[in-house]
Amino acid sequence: MSQKSERRGIRVDQSELLCTKGCGYYGNPAWQGFCSKCWREEYHHVRQKQIKEDWALAERLQREEEAAYASSQGAQSQPSLTPFSKFEEKKSNEKTRKVTTVKKFFSPSSRIGSKKAAPETAGKCVPSGRERHADTLLRDLREIFTPPWDLASPTEESHETKAPSPSISRQASIETDQVSRDFIDFLKSLHKPGREIHKQCRAFIETMATKEDHQSVEELSECVQDFYQNMSDRLLTHFKGSSERVERVMDQVEKYIMTRLYKNVFCPEITDDEKKDLAVQKRIRALHWVTIQMLCVPVDEEIPEVSDMVVKAITDIIEMDSKRVPRDKLACITKCSKDIFNAIKITRNEPASADDFLPTLIYIVLKANPPRLQSNIQYITRFCNPSRLMTGEDGYYFTNLCCAVAFIEKLDAQSLNLSPEDFERYMTGQASPRRQDPEGLSQVYQSLELLSGLGERQERVLDGARRLESDLIDWQDGVAREVQDILDKYPLEIRPPASAIDSDNVENDRLPPPLLPQVFAG
Amino acid sequence: MAAGGSGGGNKTYSFKVVLLGEGCVGKTSLVLRYCENKFNDKHITTLQASFLTKKLNIGGKRVNLAIWDTAGQERFHALGPIYYRDSNGAILVYDITDEDSFQKVKNWVKELRKMLGNEICLCIVGNKVDLEKERHVSVQEAEGYAESVGAKHYHTSAKLNKGIEELFLDLCKRMIETAQADERAKGNGSSQSGTARRGVQIVDDEPQNAATAGGGCCSSV
Repeated sequence: MSQKSERRGIRVDQSELLCTKGCGYYGNPAWQGFCSKCWREEYHHVRQKQIKEDWALAERLQREEEAAYASSQGAQSQPSLTPFSKFEEKKSNEKTRKVTTVKKFFSPSSRIGSKKAAPETAGKCVPSGRERHADTLLRDLREIFTPPWDLASPTEESHETKAPSPSISRQASIETDQVSRDFIDFLKSLHKPGREIHKQCRAFIETMATKEDHQSVEELSECVQDFYQNMSDRLLTHFKGSSERVERVMDQVEKYIMTRLYKNVFCPEITDDEKKDLAVQKRIRALHWVTIQMLCVPVDEEIPEVSDMVVKAITDIIEMDSKRVPRDKLACITKCSKDIFNAIKITRNEPASADDFLPTLIYIVLKANPPRLQSNIQYITRFCNPSRLMTGEDGYYFTNLCCAVAFIEKLDAQSLNLSPEDFERYMTGQASPRRQDPEGLSQVYQSLELLSGLGERQERVLDGARRLESDLIDWQDGVAREVQDILDKYPLEIRPPASAIDSDNVENDRLPPPLLPQVFAG
Repeated sequence: MAAGGSGGGNKTYSFKVVLLGEGCVGKTSLVLRYCENKFNDKHITTLQASFLTKKLNIGGKRVNLAIWDTAGQERFHALGPIYYRDSNGAILVYDITDEDSFQKVKNWVKELRKMLGNEICLCIVGNKVDLEKERHVSVQEAEGYAESVGAKHYHTSAKLNKGIEELFLDLCKRMIETAQADERAKGNGSSQSGTARRGVQIVDDEPQNAATAGGGCCSSV
């Protein structure tokens, strides 16, 4: 990603960026060229009417969110200026505001969407020669991260057509938006603290956005963990120690924050997570020959229900990569573990202990080869709410997954009860272990035996057939001979037939008619 | 660690306890007896016996106990540190009829003390006391060893439900004491942030571990 090609798109005079009122701060076209302060003064009375004190809290939350959107996207947002302008005001105090803003727009883009999009937009904007081309560039970049419904707003309409927004980031932002809305809906149910929580989260995401560029993942993780800690401490005082409620809120907070931060903190380029991912993937591929027997896995895949469970477990562990929130990722691991327990329970009919579970999990991981395994583990470790990882059930399964990965990485001949020579040969692909040895061989022998028996019997049948054939021929000959003998004994003589009385009587009709019997009635 | 709820003395402690022991020493039976009060029962409802929880109330203090079973096979020995990271207590089980299983316990104790120091409460448990006649590990030796490493020794039988309730109760009390001492040492407010932020990480096991694993007597399985 060439930062240079994007930067060269901004060729604006400093004066063009300043407030039209000449107060020295930067102006914003969205506020008709005013800076936030002047804009606020200008429209103060209009706004006063708009912001009524008795606004329902729910409405306010909604607006705050809108404003937050607007501030990050630079679009106009009339109805909710209080938090919006406050935020901008704070921002305007920074000397390097424009730079950070631009950076902010670029920093999330450097990961997914803009790899294709940014040079495209930059190329589009540079030759346009418009008066406000810097603004256009910014707008185009914003549009990449703007959900479609925001694009359709009247102020943006004119630019919409020429803003190519890659579908990836658009989809991502749709998902993010959905999460934000759910979050707000959830916070509405909490009334006053809900508002406070929302404010905190937003502010936190803002500060994180500025940090992402120049801090290590460990530092970012530290920030997130601190935030969790502070938040839950505050909630704990607020809810007077009801840890269940705190947990519920914290789950939502985590979901909201991590959905927003995911793109930048999952498998970041500055770490070697990706390298580790590939290493594990390669390692698992090289171990494709490991069998259930070698690992002493207590499941019998011959049973259909068990093999169904194994397939389900594999699917669940693979699904982990598709989730964004650490908690959801953990849920996938837990689901996978439950499937494994089911498989063991069906096979052994007793509750599974860790002695059974871990080998099975290792087997599942080997079979599944889950994508970006190390990245996911690192991400969960860094950004999951720690209370969940430490004592909870999810934490236990996650620990087991870590163990499974560690085992796979260090696996050697001894851990599979193989001789080092065999292990070496299997690893280099020179040989592969005979699968299901005793069973297969005995089956072959049985088949061979059967086959040889079959041959014998066929031989016998053939013999019989041949005998039958010769018998038949003999019989035929015999009969023929007999017939011949008889024929010889009694040769056929055709004699002239003895003439019958009537045969050649010519004068038949001269004879008197035959006598007819006469019946007399007695 | 003891992540507590605020509000007077009404604290809720959450403790993580790891269960260590060789293959057939009866770890699973032990926890199932404790959490479900069942032994070799066909009606055991739980799907698994590797992660079990129990809620207790000890002198008005609520305790959530999470019991983590660990794979005891020799080949998984090196993974131990991943399991017992951040645990408050460890229950090391051996079979009184099996001298080897007691040797394994000694290995684990060494490791635990090295990795977690004295913060962890250790319990050494001689299981299967119903098989007293076949005992191969002498009581004096076991109890003497336990004392020498600062652990407590218990005699249990999962089959006869002997000594198990006492074992867990005693362990909980000791963990509460440790947690309270910990809090006092750190001063109130800061105790949580320090302990709460401990995730799970994969660590390279030290060469010593590999050495002990390799030199270990017999690799069963």
